[in-house]
Amino acid sequence: MKLLLYFGLALGLVPIQSTVLDHLSVAGVRPDLCLIAVSLIGFFGGAGDGVLMGVLLGFEQDLFSAGDAWVSVITKAAIGLSGGLVARYVARATPATVAPMMMGFSVCSGMAFLFAGAGGPDTMTAVQSILAPQAVLDGVFGVAAYWVLAERFRKDDSLV
Amino acid sequence: MFRSTSGTRRVLLVLCALLLSLVFVLPKQSHTLLQAVGKPLADIVTIPLKLLFSADSRVEAVWDRYVALRGVREENEQLRREIEFLRGQAADLREMAAANRRLTELLRFQAHTPSQTVAARVIGRDATNWYRGVVLDKGEQDGVRTEMGVVTLAGAVGRVVKTRASSSVVLLITDPNNAVTSLIQRTRDEGIIEGTFGGQARMKYIPLLSTVRVGDPVVTSGLTGGFPKGVPVGTITSIQKDEGGLFQTADVRPEVDFTKVEEVLVVTAPRSTGEPSADSPEENNKP
Repeated sequence: MKLLLYFGLALGLVPIQSTVLDHLSVAGVRPDLCLIAVSLIGFFGGAGDGVLMGVLLGFEQDLFSAGDAWVSVITKAAIGLSGGLVARYVARATPATVAPMMMGFSVCSGMAFLFAGAGGPDTMTAVQSILAPQAVLDGVFGVAAYWVLAERFRKDDSLV
Repeated sequence: MFRSTSGTRRVLLVLCALLLSLVFVLPKQSHTLLQAVGKPLADIVTIPLKLLFSADSRVEAVWDRYVALRGVREENEQLRREIEFLRGQAADLREMAAANRRLTELLRFQAHTPSQTVAARVIGRDATNWYRGVVLDKGEQDGVRTEMGVVTLAGAVGRVVKTRASSSVVLLITDPNNAVTSLIQRTRDEGIIEGTFGGQARMKYIPLLSTVRVGDPVVTSGLTGGFPKGVPVGTITSIQKDEGGLFQTADVRPEVDFTKVEEVLVVTAPRSTGEPSADSPEENNKP
């Protein structure tokens, strides 16, 4: 089941990100579904799964982006690992704790892109127009995804 | 009481017998008589008859409507389904007609442009928020290579930065990381077009003595970027002249609406094979 889910995510997430998600963009900025997925995989499935899916989804994302072919691979793998590590040290996760985690991951990922020169020469404008709104969107969508997954796991636990 | 009733009965029976005999003996006269006698009776009977007819008609109408409604409901649902199907078909046809119009114009443009081009369809946007790019459905197997220019009927779109067998990624001219050499059509002054964060473009390095004006069209210079010379880029909307600066800078509104780009042409060879290239000695020797 888990493999099937990962397989589905690997096949479907990047196409969704580059096609359908355009309709959900706010001022041209879309939530990064791969970032949200990888951090939640790390959080729920462990650091190993997070890193593997981070590399896979990051690689796919780089393939369909005009940027350098390493930024997403590195950032997504690091986010998957961090998600796994955070899960070890958080005793009781709630949406209130997941939101800052997701926003933090998004900001770190954005900084890596800025470091790679993605935002052009005007860094401050890039921070204001891409990094900050994306962090907010990732936080909101990440919490929504976490809430759905947490509910599901709770239901599964009660069935056992 | 019983007896008197029996007497009346007898009288009535005798009258009936007389009447019947009259009918048999004098049929024509009796008919007129019967009609004259029956008229008021008929008028009286007509009242309940009408009432009953009216009630019956209503009941029948209600019944018919109810029965019919059962059929109509099914028919209605079927018609709704048909309408939905036809609406879908109409939408498909409209979409096909629009695509047909666009592709016809693109083909006409492709036929008239001196460059060799490959038509491609935009199948996605950049997978990250950090670059303004689009994904095309044509790649290396169709002759698309990196650094090739991408245009539409309206003007320059961007340049190919990544290619794979059957798809490629184009960096739009509105991306801050993109740079395309262009010239102001009226003054022939050259500059470099770069993208801005607002989805617009900026022309840098315009000579200080240039007489550039707001509204001047900007076209590609054909020197770099894989574009043929003269492809529209945009229109100058404002000009900045820094104090003590060596160049002028101008904001450019792109000709292409990048949010609505669906089909494009990838310029595989900026000039047709019969025409001399930009760096050929023949062209360089021209006055």
